[in-house]
Amino acid sequence: MDEKYSSNVISSGKLGRVEAPNARLTRYIVLLYFTKMLKAFGIFESYDILKVVHIVQFLFILKMGCAVILVFFQKPFSSGKMIPKRQWIKILKHAVISCIISLLGFFGLTLCGPLRSLLLFEHSDLVVISLLSVLFTSSGGGPSKTRGAAFFIIAVICLLLFDNDDLMAKMAEHPEGHHDSALTHALYTGIAFLGVADHKGGVVLLVLALCLKVAFNTASRKLSVEIGGAKRLYALSNLVSAVVLLPWVIVLSATTESKVESWSGLIFPFAMIIFSVMILDFYVESICMAKLETSRCARYGAIFLFLNGLLLANFWTHPLTGQIRAISTTGQQSSTEHVLSGGVLVSACFFIMADSILSAPSSKGQKGTLVGYSPEGTPLYNFMGDALQHTSQSLPRFIKDSLKQILEEYDSRQIFYFLCLNLAFTFVELFYGVWTNSLGLISDGFHMLFDCSALVLGLFAALMTRWKATRIYSYGYGRVEILSGFINGLFLMVIAFFVFVESVTRLVDPPNINTDMLTPVSVGGLIVNLVGICAFSHAHSHGASKGSCSGHDHGHSHHGHGHSSMEHSHGGHGHSHGGHGHSHGHGHSHSSGGMNANMRGVFLHVLADTLGSVGVIISTILIRQFGWLIADPICSLFISTLIFLSVIPLLKDACEVLLLRMPPQHEKELNFALEKIQKIEGVLSYRDPHFWRHSASVIAGTIHLQLMSDVVEQRVIQQVSAVLKDAGVNNLTIQLEKEAYFQHMSGLSSGFHEVLTMTQQMESMKYYKDGTCIM
Amino acid sequence: MVALDVLGITDSDAPVYRQKQEADTLVLGTIHPFRKAHRSVLGKLAQEFRLVTSDRRSWKILLFGVLNVVCTGCLLMWCSSTNSMALTAYTYLTIFDLFSLITCLLSLWVTMKKPSQIYSFGFQRFEVLAVFSSTVLVQLGSLFILKESVERFVEQPEVHTGRLLVGTFVALFFNLLTLLSVKNKPFVFVSEAASTSWLQEHVADLSRSLCGLIPALSSFLLPRMNPFVLINLAGAFALGITYMLIEINNYNAMDTASAVAIALMTFGTMYPMSVYSGKVLLQTTPSHVIGQLDKLLREVSTLDGVLEVRNEHFWTIGFGSLAGSVHVRIRRDADEQMVLAHVWNRLSALVSALTVHVFKDEWSRASLSSGVLPSAPLSLSEYVTAAAVFPAAPSRAQGSEPTPATSTPAKPSSPPPEFSFHTPGRHVQPVVFQTAHPHRPLYGGLQGPGVRLGLGPRGPTLQAYRTLSAAPHTYTSGTYTGPPRP
Repeated sequence: MDEKYSSNVISSGKLGRVEAPNARLTRYIVLLYFTKMLKAFGIFESYDILKVVHIVQFLFILKMGCAVILVFFQKPFSSGKMIPKRQWIKILKHAVISCIISLLGFFGLTLCGPLRSLLLFEHSDLVVISLLSVLFTSSGGGPSKTRGAAFFIIAVICLLLFDNDDLMAKMAEHPEGHHDSALTHALYTGIAFLGVADHKGGVVLLVLALCLKVAFNTASRKLSVEIGGAKRLYALSNLVSAVVLLPWVIVLSATTESKVESWSGLIFPFAMIIFSVMILDFYVESICMAKLETSRCARYGAIFLFLNGLLLANFWTHPLTGQIRAISTTGQQSSTEHVLSGGVLVSACFFIMADSILSAPSSKGQKGTLVGYSPEGTPLYNFMGDALQHTSQSLPRFIKDSLKQILEEYDSRQIFYFLCLNLAFTFVELFYGVWTNSLGLISDGFHMLFDCSALVLGLFAALMTRWKATRIYSYGYGRVEILSGFINGLFLMVIAFFVFVESVTRLVDPPNINTDMLTPVSVGGLIVNLVGICAFSHAHSHGASKGSCSGHDHGHSHHGHGHSSMEHSHGGHGHSHGGHGHSHGHGHSHSSGGMNANMRGVFLHVLADTLGSVGVIISTILIRQFGWLIADPICSLFISTLIFLSVIPLLKDACEVLLLRMPPQHEKELNFALEKIQKIEGVLSYRDPHFWRHSASVIAGTIHLQLMSDVVEQRVIQQVSAVLKDAGVNNLTIQLEKEAYFQHMSGLSSGFHEVLTMTQQMESMKYYKDGTCIM
Repeated sequence: MVALDVLGITDSDAPVYRQKQEADTLVLGTIHPFRKAHRSVLGKLAQEFRLVTSDRRSWKILLFGVLNVVCTGCLLMWCSSTNSMALTAYTYLTIFDLFSLITCLLSLWVTMKKPSQIYSFGFQRFEVLAVFSSTVLVQLGSLFILKESVERFVEQPEVHTGRLLVGTFVALFFNLLTLLSVKNKPFVFVSEAASTSWLQEHVADLSRSLCGLIPALSSFLLPRMNPFVLINLAGAFALGITYMLIEINNYNAMDTASAVAIALMTFGTMYPMSVYSGKVLLQTTPSHVIGQLDKLLREVSTLDGVLEVRNEHFWTIGFGSLAGSVHVRIRRDADEQMVLAHVWNRLSALVSALTVHVFKDEWSRASLSSGVLPSAPLSLSEYVTAAAVFPAAPSRAQGSEPTPATSTPAKPSSPPPEFSFHTPGRHVQPVVFQTAHPHRPLYGGLQGPGVRLGLGPRGPTLQAYRTLSAAPHTYTSGTYTGPPRP
């Protein structure tokens, strides 16, 4: 195999060079084309020779022949400085790793055949480095690089799954073919242990060898600069590789009989392979990397190599080309092995597209646009959102902080404990289902995973509620709980719908139900869910008892059943920054009564799963006792109806909050408060009253008041604030408007029609006031 | 006397606001139990439906809805006959079209309704909730498709390709017909305002190089393709590949892989829209107007008489209209109505439903004194609030009380705003503004008036402290350009 090194910058003279005209580039492209064609031909010949010659002997002959030619032409000993002992040790290590990679590559060639070996192993370093940077770092080259990486992965998957290689011939050939040494036997045993076919194992082996080769080439660039050039390192490495492989070949030749009838017939194909694969490809690659760009050389080289591989694979078993081939064995002409298939054609197309995309130069960064200058004279730039780097903390720290916050709060702690219990039961059920190969258990395990996802959603919402308010979330994150309850309600409606559809299907065509495994699974699920229901009902009663102790109990004594509506909460203070205020906030958050939308959503999920378990138990009993197969769909219909009906109040309450409706619990009080506001001395009228519940503990409101001209504004603000605070509004904004305000607005020339309406209203109110005084 | 007052109000032709609220109060006070018991849920729904069907545009939507239900029924039967999970995943896109038609009908209903006392901000948030529900339901359906596909990977059933291609073409034709015929205003807005999904991003990148070769396609493909048309075409393409592979090589696993691909593409398409409409429902400040709000609030802070701006909340009511509430603390000798008019004039260019709360510091003493008189527990809570306020926001205004107690009890929970100037002479670093995303053309009309910096003619002022020494420093540290103050 060849070891391609990137060219030395100093020796290639690339610095300061302008791009050559197209005629010279065309000449180099034609040279690259013929080199790649010869290389593909050489690899096909290598595959034929490896059927006869052992892989270690083959590699030794390649290395020795290449070393002889390179030492003669390159003169690595006489040219350049003398190599110290330390660098000889490095060259030795370089040679050993090079032998290992070449052995892996040629072994993959024997497993997969020449065409697939070309498609998988002969990618450029630039392509593989670009692919790995897209996959493992977040700073990829944009969507085009992502697309190239996706094409590469799709191509490998096509070779793995959809390639119909000739397996029977390979399996028949294996026991007598290559088991003549311990190395080959160990490799075959390793692949057989993995359970995959030899062809697929070869694909995986070639991909790993490709990654090793790229890492090796990248790591050896420093060594090539130290020694004095890639060509000198290549010559010395091949020489040391031949020396390293020589004892192995001697021992191998002594212990095994040779299958070669005559070595003189192999001189020409070996010479051709050494020339095309080891020497010519290396030198032409170095020249083309110097003259063309690296990315263009990688792109053209990959396209030429893959297309020539496809062409040779198509014509390799043709009788016309049999005369060109060196080994004219009549027995092997009739066998068809590693033929072209649809999968390998699709894979070749995807590889060509992936290499073209990944080897293209990527556009770097985004520029900001100049928007002006600061008062000091420095230019100001405006960046797009994706250019700004967000400071994100590490994942373990985020998990640790989240766990600490989870265990502080009562609601989130309950959800977290039940989530752990539910996940444990789910994984036990999934493993037992996979172990006993039961599809019903696996299906029920995935259903439990759905409940766990609902629990995770509720847990994350309970966690987000206590985050501090930001510029975007100016009221805080308390509203996330209501949205989470709404999503969980939609989730339950979808579950009820699917259970309903499945029940109707089974009602028409009842299947045969195996009731052996259903009972312990249902009983286990029932126990887990009953634990959850006890925990959440404890939270419910705990909250209710705390709610009844609050100071606003007099307003809700007429509520006979508090389940259908969200109870009033007393806590008006969030987390303040002082120490005393912080504990005060905690005290109030503990006393908040009732279940919010988030906890109700999680509770309904647990209740739905409990009903499912109860239904399965009842239907199992009925099927066993009376043989009624229709009992299962009837129980499922009943369960889906119960789930649907229990979800409707949750969705209704969440919709009212999300739509900024006036809170139903405070409707009478707010209307009464608005009447009192009108009776305050100095207030003429009001407009635009808005009152809505923002979160479980915040009721916000805005109102515009029109006053007489001689009233002191701040006193009216105090009185109106007191009235609305008694009605339950704890986040209030009051705008007081006098006649002077509308005059100022007229002077400012904004809102003409509104000002006109307000002025008419003021005049009418004055007239009415005077009329009342007269009466 | 009471009857005479009511008759007097009716005869004197009072203005709209007071009369409307009085009538609502009277109706809610007296006829409330009878009206609530008289009309049921279905009756109200039928009445609203009759209101919507009075418009002729809704007939087209209803026709497409009926066709959609028939088409979905046929597709579901073909899904069960072919046993194809990919066709089931594709049928959920047709069900999503039904949801979008319901949303379009709701949008027509919203334009006919007027704001009531119960829904005081109007009914525009019904559209947002409908868009959010539709996208979340489709994502949950995709989640179920993924669950079924993972089960099928374990045990792959046989897929019959008899009706697979017919179902694909029927669904594709009907989906494209619905998308291109009925103009769905809420979904058009959300798909333009939300961030780009990963499928749109890749197709946009491919289209940008394709339109370099063929410029005629740029009106259709650029700047971003319609996400609904894109998901339908990509799903049909995946189903075509599935059909070809099952027919040629009998790869039944390709059906499951195609279902996973369609589900992931659906999830990726609907997720940005869910995030956007979810943020509207959460009453967040839109990210693209934060820059303009920062600029306007800085101008408000530099007005004569304004000491600080706090407790500012800005959110969108529906799609595109902004609402807000601000608390402005002014000096004791400032004219409240003058400051209110100027602040309202600045902010109302951007915020449509605005409420400005103007308060002074001198009322903290009166608040404390009036707090003591009613009852002892209120006084104790007031002292606790005042003690909690003190470490968070120490007041440094000259001549003010050491413990200012405002009328907003939620003030300790809000952090001190970044743009308020506690020290008038402090030098503030210039802020680099971030403009809106170029793919939001519908906000162009809102941004135009927002950047208006002209100062109106000032009325005659009687302020004795006009030449405050802090004002020139504040002006020079700002980045806005306008006529200098007189």
